Amino acid sequence: MKTNITKFHLKLLVAIMVMALALGVCGIVSVAVADEASDFPGREVTIIVPYDAGGSSDMISRFIASGLGKALNCTVLVVNKPGGAGSVGMTFVRQSKADGYTICYISTDIMTQKVMNISDIVPEDFAFIGQVAEVPGALTVHVDSPFKTATEFIDYAKKNPGKLTVAVGAVGGAWHTTATVLEEGAGVKLNKVSFSGGGAAAVTPLMGKHVDAAVNGAGEVLSGVNAGSLKILGVMTEERMPSLPDVPTLKEQGVNVVFGGSGAYALPKDAPQPIVDKLSAALSKAVESDEFKDFITQRGMIIRYRNTADTKKAIAEQNEVFFNILSKIDK
Amino acid sequence: MWGLLNGLTIAITPTNLFYCLIGCLVGQLVGVLPGIGPVQATALLIPLSYGLEPTTAIIMLCGIYYGAMYGGTITSVLINTPGETASVITCLDGYPLAQQGRAGVALKVAAIGSFVGGVISTLALALLGPSVADFALKFGPSEQFALMVFGMSMVIGLMGKSFIRGLVSLSFGLSLALVGMDPISGAIRYSFGINDLVGGIEMVPLCMGLFGLSELLVLVEDLNVTHKASALNSSTLKKEELRPTTMAIIRGSFLGFFVGLIPGTGSAIPALISYSMEKSLSKHPDQFGKGAPEGVAGPETANNSYVGGAMIPLFTLGIPCSPTIAILMGAFMMHGMIPGPTLFITNPDVIWGTIASMFVGNVILLILNMPLAAAWAKLADIPNKMLCPAVLVISLIGAYSDSNSMFGVGVMLVAGVIGYVCKKLDIPLAPIILVFVLTDKMEQNLLQSIKIHSGVLGILTSPIALGLLVGAAAVIAGSLIMEIKNKKSSLLEGDE
Repeated sequence: MKTNITKFHLKLLVAIMVMALALGVCGIVSVAVADEASDFPGREVTIIVPYDAGGSSDMISRFIASGLGKALNCTVLVVNKPGGAGSVGMTFVRQSKADGYTICYISTDIMTQKVMNISDIVPEDFAFIGQVAEVPGALTVHVDSPFKTATEFIDYAKKNPGKLTVAVGAVGGAWHTTATVLEEGAGVKLNKVSFSGGGAAAVTPLMGKHVDAAVNGAGEVLSGVNAGSLKILGVMTEERMPSLPDVPTLKEQGVNVVFGGSGAYALPKDAPQPIVDKLSAALSKAVESDEFKDFITQRGMIIRYRNTADTKKAIAEQNEVFFNILSKIDK
Repeated sequence: MWGLLNGLTIAITPTNLFYCLIGCLVGQLVGVLPGIGPVQATALLIPLSYGLEPTTAIIMLCGIYYGAMYGGTITSVLINTPGETASVITCLDGYPLAQQGRAGVALKVAAIGSFVGGVISTLALALLGPSVADFALKFGPSEQFALMVFGMSMVIGLMGKSFIRGLVSLSFGLSLALVGMDPISGAIRYSFGINDLVGGIEMVPLCMGLFGLSELLVLVEDLNVTHKASALNSSTLKKEELRPTTMAIIRGSFLGFFVGLIPGTGSAIPALISYSMEKSLSKHPDQFGKGAPEGVAGPETANNSYVGGAMIPLFTLGIPCSPTIAILMGAFMMHGMIPGPTLFITNPDVIWGTIASMFVGNVILLILNMPLAAAWAKLADIPNKMLCPAVLVISLIGAYSDSNSMFGVGVMLVAGVIGYVCKKLDIPLAPIILVFVLTDKMEQNLLQSIKIHSGVLGILTSPIALGLLVGAAAVIAGSLIMEIKNKKSSLLEGDE
């Protein structure tokens, strides 16, 4: 009798452990073996996403992974290593072997690491493969708001400094900085209230009219706009967004602010040039897939492919903007 | 109502039924495995759902969500390891029940409670839908801050026998929550130069260490002990337990639904409020923490009916109330639908199909879990020397897979030792984790409302916030008075 019970339990235990192992193995990165650039990729490539599963960065990377896999004819895995505003994942890639098998998703957070004392990561630590997407910033109000255009909003803000409350992300994050760029560009002072937890966190207080406006990604306010409760006063792009043809840019309303977040991929800085080139070529094909295009458009983002050199230049330029703004903030 | 019937015909097509079952099973599995919660599971399955019909995909993903709510109960009851915050409360009475050989009772009560909670909240979602959506929007930073304070006051009910030890536990949770980046200014606190601490301590490994690993360490003290399942009615309720348990389930259903409507609350809050409510309404509050079935039934019901409530802001306003809902919203968008009121008009089949599938899913889960409860309960009488290594392996994998880093494993190990010491010193563990969860939100909301109102007093201008703060003060005052009374009477007894 006793042995019977034990046997049944053993089976149950084994079954559970096998299930646990199967799920656990999904996240384990295999050990590196040295490869020549010409053989690349000789095994599966891993994209490290330094953010939680399910966010925009993760979703972008999962589409790109399938596109890269097709172009390179190999398996491309996505592994999430969240924590510390991206510093945990970026540090992991910076320290890993520069053989092309470990790729890092790089967001705007790379520009704030040093100046906000989060970590010592700087863009120079990485060899950029290319940029794939841009997340344009937007200035949004509730439909019941007295402001119908960006001009009205800015005029009121000029006359009443610090009076308008604007929901933004955490200090040092992309949307807080974007709002500061808006303040400087338009010459106004706003009462910025931080809602950490992604740009979507700033939408709820705006819908409940707890704040006067929000500055975050255009994609984040899309559902509210569709629901007829929010109104985008202006997007911060050079030209109108293809997915939002009726929404004016801030620029055409005389507020010269063009700003937004970006999504790029990079290898550790010592990566051999032939491998960077090979991945860069594959990346340019991955952004062409219809699935990726649909996804980017629906999420209110823009496909912005930049090659290795352009990505490096664009990030260096934006890095300077971030540094100038953030070094002035009293931390 | 017509829409719901129409949805039902969509939900019971063989394909949808099949994917609903898959979702429930996967959900239950991730609920059982600590470390992988519904958020990760939903996120991982989204790319797989790309090829499916939108309705089918959403049905499957929803199944994962409420399936996980069911599954989390099992580990809490059997090995005292909550798979996610919603189940922390379940440990308090579920595990004692299991130790008394009544794991079957705890699991069945939880399964029935979850079913009732799920059905009532789905019904409310179908009937009330848009009309209660505005309620969600009333909760700005001030109101949410007050709600968190109210939730915090409820933690007092979990403090156990000693007020001082409870306070130690509470302040420990509070200080753990302060580690990492300040949510508003971005300043980094107590990270000691460790990158992994910049984002704060991860909840899942902390939870697994404090509850699960510490329990293992206690079990290891005597490896030869087997929790012999007592033959007496191990899976039926005693007659006198029937009424309070039923009432707990009914109250939990409504509570969970309404808390679900409020953005950003998380499923721990309804469970916490339900537990404290049941304890204060009970005729024998001293039984709580020692194995009261209603202490399992109420919170488990509340965290499941929370799901139905949380769907309303998503479906009607396009606001994601919780991380899992945010991922569901992503799934809608990936299938070309933008959540919001227009969804009821543009894609009624998807919405009503999904709502109806939640009925179906709850039935599936009930059918799955009633017989399984007995099987799972058998796990509780595995000898320690076999159980401990297995649980340890599962926990280690869970802690690693939560964020794919060894740091999580380290957090779990340290938390395990701390939890063990706390157990030896009789310091209650539940307040640590609940305060840890609440503090982050509370701090953020407080700072936000101060900024919006240019001062602290502005918070009081909101009637909802004022009401909740007064409620919190009343709860604290009430428990203090009780505490003093108890002290006096125990002193008197001591004199005799």
